[in-house]
Amino acid sequence: MAAALVVSSRGWGKLRQILAAGKGAGASCAVLWRRGCSSQQEHVSHNEDLPIQMENPYKDPPKRCVLCGINVDYKNVQLLSQFVSPYTGRIYGRHITGLCGKKQKEISKAIKRAHVIGFMPVVYKDPTFLNDPKICDIRHPE
Amino acid sequence: PEMAAALKRTIEALMERGAVVRNLENLGERSLPYKISKHNQDHRRGGYFLVDFDGPPTIISTLMDHLGRDVDVIRPTFIKHPVSKTEECSGIIPVNYEDKLYTKKK
Repeated sequence: MAAALVVSSRGWGKLRQILAAGKGAGASCAVLWRRGCSSQQEHVSHNEDLPIQMENPYKDPPKRCVLCGINVDYKNVQLLSQFVSPYTGRIYGRHITGLCGKKQKEISKAIKRAHVIGFMPVVYKDPTFLNDPKICDIRHPE
Repeated sequence: PEMAAALKRTIEALMERGAVVRNLENLGERSLPYKISKHNQDHRRGGYFLVDFDGPPTIISTLMDHLGRDVDVIRPTFIKHPVSKTEECSGIIPVNYEDKLYTKKK
């Protein structure tokens, strides 16, 4: 009996047939069982043709921001200066830098710390870092 | 020279209060980003040193007083030891702005 149960759902019909035959029911009963099992089979096959619910396999990996793997430190003034305006020394907002929430907070905290400690200039950008590659999406007015 | 003597004094003060010095780093000597005036003196150049130490939190206030009185120390700062764990950064999750708007309206 256990072996019969292990058989797939298609085998339901066959199992019922065996049961009916084994019990020694009448021919009519066997016919009824068979009808039952055939409808079972149809139902099963109809089910198996429908699409299986699964996660979208063509999903793109989540967008990463520029600093997504990099450790932000108050000591590397070069990295911090890239997110600061060269004219006024103000920190750029999230809509300009395009960083994720965590990283933007970390950067702004690190910049303010560097200001206090005396690592980074406050009202201007250190001239040695003026020619760094541009990360931020800033558009200066003409 | 004088910087070495100043460093030695600070580390001795640390050890006196019962702090274990782990590491001392020299971050170089450079011109300060802005003119700092301390103890009736203006400074434009300075040496940066980073001292890692473990100690009880009660000594911090006493140490700040001590270092504030030291003429050679321009700006004493205490920072927690940074625990870096950036391996869980999972990209920008797109936020559903509509939902945010309507739930906050309550």
